[in-house]
Amino acid sequence: MKKFFTSHTVREGLRIGIAVGVALLLGFIITLFVSEDPLGAYKAFLLGPLSKFNRFGDWIEESITLILVGLSVAIAFKANLFSLGTEGQLLLGALVSGTIALFVPLPAVLRIPLAILAAMVVGFIWGWIPGYLKAHLQANEIVSTLMLNAIALKIYDYFLIFHIKPPDAGYNASDFFPNEGTLHSFIPNLPFLDGIHELFSDKTNISIMVYILVVAVIAAYYIIFRTPFGYKLRMVGVNIKFARYGGIDTKKTMILIFAISGIFGGLAGAHLAMGIHTKLIANISVNMGFEGIVVAILARNNPLFVPLTGLAYGYLRAGANVMERSSDMSREMIFVIQALIILFVTAERILPMIQKRVSERRENGKEEKKVTEKKRGSSEI
Amino acid sequence: MTPLVDMRGIVKVYPNGVVANNGVDFQIEPGEIHAIVGENGAGKTTLMKILYGLEQPTEGEIFIKGEKVLFKSPIDAIDHGVGMVHQNFMQVASFKVAENIVLGHEPTNNIFLNDKKSVDITKELSKKYGLFVEPNAITETVNVGMRQRIEILKILYLGAEILILDEPTAVLTPQETKDLFKAIRVLVDQGKTIIFITHKLREVKEISDRVTVMRNGKVEGTIKTSDATKEGLARMMVGREVFLDIHKKKMKRGGEVMKITNLSYVSDTGYAMLRNVSFNLYEGEILGIAGVEGNGQTELVEVLTGLRAPASGSASVEGKAVTGKSPQEVRLANVAHIPEDRLANGLGLDASIDDNLIVDRFFKPPFKKGMLIDSDAVENNGRKMIEEFGILTPNGQLPVSSLSGGNMQKVVVAREFSSSPRILIAAQPTRGIDVGATEFIREQLVIKRTEGTAILLVSADLAEVMSLSDRIITMFEGEITGVFPEAEKVSEEELGFYMLGVKRQSKEEMEALL
Repeated sequence: MKKFFTSHTVREGLRIGIAVGVALLLGFIITLFVSEDPLGAYKAFLLGPLSKFNRFGDWIEESITLILVGLSVAIAFKANLFSLGTEGQLLLGALVSGTIALFVPLPAVLRIPLAILAAMVVGFIWGWIPGYLKAHLQANEIVSTLMLNAIALKIYDYFLIFHIKPPDAGYNASDFFPNEGTLHSFIPNLPFLDGIHELFSDKTNISIMVYILVVAVIAAYYIIFRTPFGYKLRMVGVNIKFARYGGIDTKKTMILIFAISGIFGGLAGAHLAMGIHTKLIANISVNMGFEGIVVAILARNNPLFVPLTGLAYGYLRAGANVMERSSDMSREMIFVIQALIILFVTAERILPMIQKRVSERRENGKEEKKVTEKKRGSSEI
Repeated sequence: MTPLVDMRGIVKVYPNGVVANNGVDFQIEPGEIHAIVGENGAGKTTLMKILYGLEQPTEGEIFIKGEKVLFKSPIDAIDHGVGMVHQNFMQVASFKVAENIVLGHEPTNNIFLNDKKSVDITKELSKKYGLFVEPNAITETVNVGMRQRIEILKILYLGAEILILDEPTAVLTPQETKDLFKAIRVLVDQGKTIIFITHKLREVKEISDRVTVMRNGKVEGTIKTSDATKEGLARMMVGREVFLDIHKKKMKRGGEVMKITNLSYVSDTGYAMLRNVSFNLYEGEILGIAGVEGNGQTELVEVLTGLRAPASGSASVEGKAVTGKSPQEVRLANVAHIPEDRLANGLGLDASIDDNLIVDRFFKPPFKKGMLIDSDAVENNGRKMIEEFGILTPNGQLPVSSLSGGNMQKVVVAREFSSSPRILIAAQPTRGIDVGATEFIREQLVIKRTEGTAILLVSADLAEVMSLSDRIITMFEGEITGVFPEAEKVSEEELGFYMLGVKRQSKEEMEALL
């Protein structure tokens, strides 16, 4: 029992569970005041993503993006580097993979891997830049990554509007990608899976990116916690002076951290372009890069928790979408509820406080036995 | 007579399982100066934090003047006249001294703060207790001694009758320590009671009426200071005989391993912190650098270990230049480094003990296995070090921040000593740690020397430099002022003259001696 309570993961889970519960309750109270049909609205919010199969698909698709950007942010944050560059990496990843998907005349087996790889490489490069600027010129990474995001957005728009968009199109979007450039459904098209394949590929865009995602999560975990590079990353995060004193090449490490973080951002872009939209559109990112911050913080920068927080946050967003469309709740109100939940979960002090109380009381009960055994007789309680 | 403070059966178990106090009984008589000594992690500070309301005891009772009390916070404690002066001053650096003293209880004229009254209060308190401060000076501009006096006046202003001083002399110069002791006596004359936590047995003898020795979270005994001897106290603290004097065999000096030539360093503010420093370091010797702190020793160590780049000059290890190289390259040349400031450089506080022990070797086998780090090897290494160096912790997965100061230093020492270095640069290796750990580290230094390691010892503790070193160099304002090839033949007074720049050897003299 003791082990159960002291287990870090369980405590963490409990912490988040309680926070979400309280926030949902508050959200409901707000809904009571602003909605004509509070029960219906809240039901749409809570169960919406599961109410229809295509809504389920929307949830999972968006969660994939969230998890990828979450991984990107977690890697940088774990090293105590406040990189906000995921947004730009994502845009360029989408641009490059989309371009290859549209124009490179290769068969699918080559074109898709090439496009994904290119997205990762461009993410790596776009991450490398602020890393280099910080390591060698002491440029503040918050400023430089935000600037690079703006530049990436302009590059994206320029190529989309002046080079990729068909000249006769009425709005800023490319043609749909050919079949050779689209990510296929994650259910293989095999005879005995016929029904399921059709169901998923008709109603959702859940693609083979799911499998890449699994690899990405495990890779990010290993990078941070199991490799020599990860050791360097964590020591840079804990105390960069200590890392340097200990003989770690902190500059090189820092640059690589930014760049590797960028790989995941680029991958998220490939998912948006080739998995979800299957074309390049204006404002493809809808600021998803920044949502990665929430996902990473909720997961305490641990890649193994990122899928959980990504799915949970994705559910929240999907639920909010359904609520907005199917009830009288305004978008602003939904944002308030969403913000409440995030606020509660990230309020790192609430549960640790309760925990401390509980553990102290528990110790008073349990340790008492241990201590009195040690020094029997002299302590009377 | 009822004691002023009576703590009975105090038990404190921290959430991470560390038992800091294990059934402590502790009494204070009114008007006494009571010293508490003990090794790091013996539970002194925890006991005082409980008395001051910063920590709540897991078990036990506290009585003040016979009345049972329960302190939930320092506010409760100060209401009962208990005040504590911490090692780290809690002051607003940009405030005036007087403002810091009245902070939280500022005198007002109904609406606005009454600045003049603050100054008056400060002057009055200062005069009454003989603790000199400048009320109108900006706090960050005054010296450490005065900042400490500010802290003491602050709790006196709040009406403290019992003053807990947590290692007050650790940050003071000898002269400031003398002044502090004078002030403590004045306070006692005015009817205050002093609890004095320290490591330094000399100070116990000098200032206290009674002394309580703590070990492993328990009280070993409380005795009258007049009945105590330094050796006796040391024995009680560590539970065995302690050799405060170091016994070492005659030096067997080997070949030259490090050569430093005309090294100079200029600080960012343009001040020459090192001027033409030259010396050699030989296998199997301890070369001590004596000097008042701030005379270039820190800069010398950091230049030699690659943390700073010199303005000119060179240092080489076995013929290979190490100046201008990165810390990593210096380490690869087999140079280990115990840094002066373990918290800033030597440790990653939030990383585990295990992780802290491998920062210089994680990329080598057995820690690197293929592409990955072998976590079993990391854990085994941690377990081995914790045992070998007596680091007090339930396990190596806990963060270093959970350790006491002395045990943190043991983590640094364990790592640097176990890297089998050719050269060991030890800066303040025993600063702020207890007798037992100090003895252990000094012994280890001598053992390393006997094994043939070349050791450069920089310490502000002159007695330490004199007893450990084979040769001594004195430094003053970034220059070498004297070379003493036979450490045992030079007196403390003589070294003092060179350390303060009163005397200096000529260049030719020094070259002859080097």
